[in-house]
Amino acid sequence: MRRVAVTGIGVLSPLGNGCDEVFNAARNGRSAVARLTGKAAERLRAPLAAVVAFDAAEHFDPAKARMLDRVSQLAIVAARCATADAGLDLKAVDLDRAGVFVGIGMGGSTSMDDGYQTLYGEGSDRIKPLLILMGMHNAPAAWIGIENGFRGPNLTYSTACSSSAVAIGEAWLRVASGSLDLALAGGSEAPLSLGSLKAWEAMHTLAAVDASDPSASCKPFSADRSGMVLGEGAAVMVLEPWDRALARGAKIHGEILGYGLVTDASHIAKPSVEGQAAAMRAALASARLDPSQIDSINAHGTGTQANDATETAAIKQVFGARAPRIPVSATKAMHGHLLGAAGALECVLSLLALQHNTALPTMHLHSSDPLCDLDYVPNAAREDAAGRTMLSNSFAFGGTNAVLVLGRAVEK
Amino acid sequence: MTNTFLRLQAIVAKDHKLDIDIITADASLESLGIDSLGVAELLFNIEDEFRVRLPVEPVDGLTTVGDVARFIDTLIAAQPAPTADAALVLPPGAAPLA
Repeated sequence: MRRVAVTGIGVLSPLGNGCDEVFNAARNGRSAVARLTGKAAERLRAPLAAVVAFDAAEHFDPAKARMLDRVSQLAIVAARCATADAGLDLKAVDLDRAGVFVGIGMGGSTSMDDGYQTLYGEGSDRIKPLLILMGMHNAPAAWIGIENGFRGPNLTYSTACSSSAVAIGEAWLRVASGSLDLALAGGSEAPLSLGSLKAWEAMHTLAAVDASDPSASCKPFSADRSGMVLGEGAAVMVLEPWDRALARGAKIHGEILGYGLVTDASHIAKPSVEGQAAAMRAALASARLDPSQIDSINAHGTGTQANDATETAAIKQVFGARAPRIPVSATKAMHGHLLGAAGALECVLSLLALQHNTALPTMHLHSSDPLCDLDYVPNAAREDAAGRTMLSNSFAFGGTNAVLVLGRAVEK
Repeated sequence: MTNTFLRLQAIVAKDHKLDIDIITADASLESLGIDSLGVAELLFNIEDEFRVRLPVEPVDGLTTVGDVARFIDTLIAAQPAPTADAALVLPPGAAPLA
């Protein structure tokens, strides 16, 4: 297996756009969760979301923008930022050995929602002619492939909240094994349509509004946690073989060391300690690392009662007596749950945490829960604490547990 | 210039943020950046703007803006007297997609 370097990062997230903005916001514990306003908000019991500052008109001509759902717009721009950051010379790339791997949960849900509103709400048969192209799940990956001319695999993974961790892991496997020399990998999600917000609300998974501070409504690992807050965004990375990255003098953001993928095969929505622990062990095995070599963890940490207690138990099962001494960060408290893009954003945050050797904070953690008794880096970032090697956990409805092992960029 | 052409010109200028002067009858749709998907969108908007119905069979042979204007005039001429429940439906296969 070849070493795989991350040489480009493009990120559009509620915490900001670009690595510096995103990292600084996260390090400072700035929550991007806010009250939703407008007509849709009146229909929601807890009108909260984490929104990206993004104007499609700055990036696309009007005709192109109209044929792209926001989920594709975000993905395309994140990919453009990633390739620019990597300084890729596409003329020097074997495009047959270059692939695109994107995780996505809800697809072009806003466009589909608009189409259904026309069809059912207004009783009209006048559906926009390009709705299929806007709504299909593989549109973001396809557009990224088209813009870059990559003729290798163009794959879309939809495993709910682990989608983009799976996308990155599968891309890593192909670059590491030698079947590809370049991959754009990440995820995108734009789930803030009334239809999908209501569907998540109906599942009783969304956080109640914190009356004193709505931005503090998502409280992972805190006893008073009441659920997750939906967020939107995209994160895309350039993956290439380490030696090639060095040879072309690329800036290396970090290394993907391993990937574990284990399915619960038990319940469609209930998380499993065994499944999560098995995915962490599988990731360690693929990286040929011992649990003692993991310095910190970016948790799945959604802020639901079930996830946070289950994940805590799983971490304890894998790391044993050392578990309470490992910094565990749940950054969703600040950027919300990006569903299909969550794993990609959290992978990027983990790489930045490693670069700066800073364990990112789990914000809004003020009430201890006996079932959540690890070191969650509560409420303030901790310098000199992320170490050199991290896990980034992504677990999902459907039971697909994906864990990435990430390393600070170091020569071996 | 016909009234149809002027209305079409205005739609194209607005939808594609183009200077109205370059949208001449002889201008090819391709030269204005309107590909097969753009034509599908344009026909959709034409149905609304001109209150016409596209035929069931695929629409082809639309190369220039003038072609589209003449096509609209044909549709208007063929249009039955409007009824209250006239459905404005793009029939299956009618979009000129590549």
